Amino acid sequence: MNAAPQSARRIASANNAFFVDTVCFSCRNRLSQQSRRHAATAAAVSDPPPATSPQASSRAAAPIIAKGPRKAYRLMAAPVLSRPPLLTRDLNSFEKAFYLYQKRLNERLAMPFSRYFYYNKGTPADPEWKRKLQARKTPSRDIGIYDAYGNEGWNDEVLVGDRTGERESVVEALIRDAEGKSIVEESEKDQGAVTAGDAQLGEGQRRETTKIEVERPSSRETEADRSGDVKSLNRKLDRTLYLLVKNHEGRWRFPEDRVYGRENLHQAAERILIQSCGINMNTWLVGNHPIGHHAHHYPSQKPIVSKISANALVGTSKESEKEEFGEKLFFMKARIMAGQPDLGSNAYGLQEWAWLAKEEVDGRVGRSYWASVKNMLVER
Amino acid sequence: MIKAPSTSLLRAFSPLWRAESVPWVARGCIAQQVHFSTAEQRMARKKGMGPKTDMRITLIRYHLQHPLTPRPLRFSRTRALRHWTIHRAWRLYQNKLRLTRQLELERQYNSMNAACEALRLMDGDGLTQEERSKLGAEIEGSNDMGRLYRIAMKKDDGVRADAVGKGVPIEYARIQTETPPRDGWNSAWTR
Repeated sequence: MNAAPQSARRIASANNAFFVDTVCFSCRNRLSQQSRRHAATAAAVSDPPPATSPQASSRAAAPIIAKGPRKAYRLMAAPVLSRPPLLTRDLNSFEKAFYLYQKRLNERLAMPFSRYFYYNKGTPADPEWKRKLQARKTPSRDIGIYDAYGNEGWNDEVLVGDRTGERESVVEALIRDAEGKSIVEESEKDQGAVTAGDAQLGEGQRRETTKIEVERPSSRETEADRSGDVKSLNRKLDRTLYLLVKNHEGRWRFPEDRVYGRENLHQAAERILIQSCGINMNTWLVGNHPIGHHAHHYPSQKPIVSKISANALVGTSKESEKEEFGEKLFFMKARIMAGQPDLGSNAYGLQEWAWLAKEEVDGRVGRSYWASVKNMLVER
Repeated sequence: MIKAPSTSLLRAFSPLWRAESVPWVARGCIAQQVHFSTAEQRMARKKGMGPKTDMRITLIRYHLQHPLTPRPLRFSRTRALRHWTIHRAWRLYQNKLRLTRQLELERQYNSMNAACEALRLMDGDGLTQEERSKLGAEIEGSNDMGRLYRIAMKKDDGVRADAVGKGVPIEYARIQTETPPRDGWNSAWTR
């Protein structure tokens, strides 16, 4: 044997990860065929096809020794099911004040509103516009009362403690404007001066023609927020919530299970989600790659001999026995769009579930698990 | 060579003359052109003759202009100082936000990277080469090394034959709103 086939064979031995990642498929095939041919002429052993069983083919004829179960690590997958935030985040006081400041500056810099372009003289919209404008002096509805082109145009900054920039007052102003009222309550005297008298009610009384009821938006803080119901998905609508389950040992973790047979991680995660939480959830597994992993080595000299039975849902799984020295758990990202988990007929003996934000997950899981998990979770 | 008389007065007072103040897309709409000499125009003009002008275009053009623009703001000394302070504070705050966002993305990426690396070095039994030799398990020439990694690296294109998965569901495209829906989360959803 000269050097070249020997080194080629070393590189071509297919358990070399470098080889598999950098050499193309057809070259790999050719090289492994060559090395198989050499091995066949030398040892006259026929290789069984590698696709059917996970057992590798031995290249040289070896004496058959009674071996124990295969040494392995338990390969597991866990879907990390999350509900993305449904609401925009709350603004802090600096942001609210800044946005109001910018809006008022914009009033000063933008062109004055040309009323006759939008409201024709003689239409009913014209006097309504004039009435509303008289109250708030600006076409904008969310900056309070401010006239950028008047004598008080220089006075665009509000004082400390002013509630003009807060969400509640902006929403209130918009709703009042939609209902046809001025955005702030005017004194009775001013109102009477503007309107003509009504024949039946008397002088200075405004007649209510049609009451426009504008539907108010729901509150950002929901019932689930107030009661602290961790099973509800209406809680903390501005945060991402993650599904944690309590397994039969009483530990809180993401739902997890083995990877059976020739399953890949994506298929395993989908199966685990259905087997643990039921089918009445509209979920989507986001990618084919894992977002995090957790390796746990069992204390040395104490491997677990596991009898792995075939999983009914996985076609390629077989019954086997392995001596396991630890476990490797891969997390897969999933999103929920509708529905709720149902642990009624779960296959893993899960007792309870909860939807938790990132810091709440920290409170419930073990320390080494948290260290593996914390970098893949999102703050908001 | 007769020098053309200065058009500066015309430019200053006639809005129609100033083609550069009109957006380029509206140039074609200028049907009414101002002529060089007003005297000629008056004598030549007939009732109903000339290109038909569109009133809407005229109105839009008039309302796009205003004597109050451009108008730089004039601040007093302390007002200018307050403005500068607010600007500095806002930039500082935005940089902080950007940094936290960047760090969180980096953490997520590194977690993904480490997981994929672990997958790449692992074979069907869940052991890396190093672990195999440490445990004394037999070294096999199986092609299972990094199999799950290669499947994980396949991209979900939705149309390619070897793509895993079918693309993004439409419900995932729900955007964040200011306030929650009337009926809240649909807990009663069934397949």
